Amino acid sequence: MIDNYITAIVALLPLAAIMLTVQVNPYNALVIRGILGAVAALVYAVLGAADVALTEAMVGTMLSITLYAVAVRSSLVMRLGVLQDGQSEAKPIPDTASPLIEKLRAVARKYHLRLELVPYPDRQSLNQALLEKEVHVTCVAQSSPLETSQPYQTMTRIRRLHDIFQTELSALTTLTYLTPPTSGEQ
Amino acid sequence: MNLLLIAMILALLIPMYEAWQDEDIWQKMLAFASIATKTSVMILVVSVLRDDWMIGVTGVIILSVGNAGLMLLAHVIKRVNDGVM
Repeated sequence: MIDNYITAIVALLPLAAIMLTVQVNPYNALVIRGILGAVAALVYAVLGAADVALTEAMVGTMLSITLYAVAVRSSLVMRLGVLQDGQSEAKPIPDTASPLIEKLRAVARKYHLRLELVPYPDRQSLNQALLEKEVHVTCVAQSSPLETSQPYQTMTRIRRLHDIFQTELSALTTLTYLTPPTSGEQ
Repeated sequence: MNLLLIAMILALLIPMYEAWQDEDIWQKMLAFASIATKTSVMILVVSVLRDDWMIGVTGVIILSVGNAGLMLLAHVIKRVNDGVM
């Protein structure tokens, strides 16, 4: 009774599932999840469960991947506090820090993070923002750049980011790990 | 008619391979659109083959509404890429 094309269609489902599990980038995994949902809806419809197929197509491939895309976009972000240039209000990124920011962007892309620059007017509010967990990393130019070979000063309050930066860009910047003042959640 | 369905399954394997191999997110979205349309057309073919109107209505709804989810996902991914720039 079971036709051989049903076997071939059902065999597509574990194929799509294996494709989903080997993905590394979260956005690519979401697209493959949509493919898995389409194949699953096909399998359910062919096996005769039309209501299950409709639910899988509506919830599985439309609602869940859209909500997950929004969640991944807002959580996989590294906020970097920088000093604002006093002269130009329109350009928040200071020119002196641009090679380090390019390097940080490359590191963030390697770990599928999104780099978001948050400008602050002076050094005091920058440190305050780091303490109040508004930003994850702060980055300022060294006050006397001739004395040392590392022209930037980077502070972070997250142990994992500190470990990553220590291996990736110790030639370009001095690293400071800021212990959170209240022990507890990081 | 079975041969037609086997041919459609083989055609479905082409965008699945493309989605697996290509690292570009937009190529993956193209493969997703291709697979979503192909699977709903396959549902319609099966419904005609079995003369089953319930599966046919399901296939029509999936074919028409599935593209809306694709558009929503494409907009979110486009805004992510704009934020990186």
